[in-house]
Amino acid sequence: MNDNKLKVKDFITIGIFTALIFVVEFACGMLGFIHPYIVAAYVVLIPLVGSIPMMLFYTKVTKFGMITIMSILIAIIMFVTGMGWLGAPLIIAAGFIADLIAKKGGYKSFKMTVLSHGVFCLWICANYFPVIVTAEDYRKSLLDGGYSAEYCDALFRAINVKTIAILLILCFVFGVIGAFVGKAVVRKHFEKAGIV
Amino acid sequence: MIKIHLDPRTKLFMIFAVSFIVMVNAVSPTEWAVRIIVTLIPVFLLANEGRYVSALRFLLCYGAALVLLKYCISAESTGVISALLVGYCGIVAQFMPAMIMAWYVIHTTKIGEFMSAMQKMHIPDGISVSLAVVMRFFPTIKEEYLSINDAMKMRGISLAGGRIAKMIEYRLVPLMFSCLNIGEELSAAAVTRGLGAPVRRTSPVQLKLNAADWLMFVIFAASMFLFVYSKYFR
Repeated sequence: MNDNKLKVKDFITIGIFTALIFVVEFACGMLGFIHPYIVAAYVVLIPLVGSIPMMLFYTKVTKFGMITIMSILIAIIMFVTGMGWLGAPLIIAAGFIADLIAKKGGYKSFKMTVLSHGVFCLWICANYFPVIVTAEDYRKSLLDGGYSAEYCDALFRAINVKTIAILLILCFVFGVIGAFVGKAVVRKHFEKAGIV
Repeated sequence: MIKIHLDPRTKLFMIFAVSFIVMVNAVSPTEWAVRIIVTLIPVFLLANEGRYVSALRFLLCYGAALVLLKYCISAESTGVISALLVGYCGIVAQFMPAMIMAWYVIHTTKIGEFMSAMQKMHIPDGISVSLAVVMRFFPTIKEEYLSINDAMKMRGISLAGGRIAKMIEYRLVPLMFSCLNIGEELSAAAVTRGLGAPVRRTSPVQLKLNAADWLMFVIFAASMFLFVYSKYFR
């Protein structure tokens, strides 16, 4: 029982990796202002790049709750940086389910880790929630806020109620692919160096 | 000038209020006024702490974005340059207030104060410790990243090289190495200070809300209220 409780070291690990993931997310997010289609391409970019720290994080996860806490932290950070709270339930739910899946594999099984990473990546879609839920209002406020009509049209062509399902699936698929990429990188650099 | 020292709880409330205001798009003049006032307060607080350079930098950046947004871009403008301008101004005008606020809080809150405030609000240890690490880590990541960047430049691996996958790999992997090592040291230090001990921790910092704190509470609550009111009930 005592072994299953989270210790300070685990909390610090969570903190470090959350910071790393956020930096990756932020770097990719900056690209989105160049063209709206890149906003839609987050579902490809972030799982692929973010998978490298995530897969290293998975090797450190041995107890239930670490992935859930990470998702709560991401939700808090997303709120603070102005992404809104609409996505928070999705982020935390994705983290919790990912945690359950990884637990099923005993945090060791690679198959379960891949699935779990796929589910975890669904949190990226939470960033689209304000766009979808308040589509009309959001469009108007973007136009009033000085965005060009071109940007708006392209943004809503790429992200709407119809495409969100595809985006969710893409998130999952690239999360799974990213898991393999991340695993390869982790094996190449960290396992050979004897860190993991 | 008197130094204003705010309680971490006040700072958290300010972050909350600013994120709330930033999230909803401002349309009418009242809303813009609220937003600008809310942005100016952290800038003023930064200057009060003696960080004149960064306060000035934020002020210029935000001001430039606002002016550009107001006079140079309209719904009709198209093309690459305006798209980039929209990008820049969009980022700055939309997220700058939250960023300035977060920057101010991260740079002026001591970790001890933060932990003590979290304990007073009965936040579970898991969340408060992890959040404290995240807060402390952003400057570290930046520092590490800059030195890695220098090293990679010396080896000629830069953005101009064109191989994006290599570029990401060569930057992210060393970054993770050093972060892991720092994490080890950090947890050793934390355990030494009794962070994992099963007792209630005491803190040398006595937190008390004073006049400045209440003033900030009132200002930010009022601006939130004003913002919501002018947005939805008129």
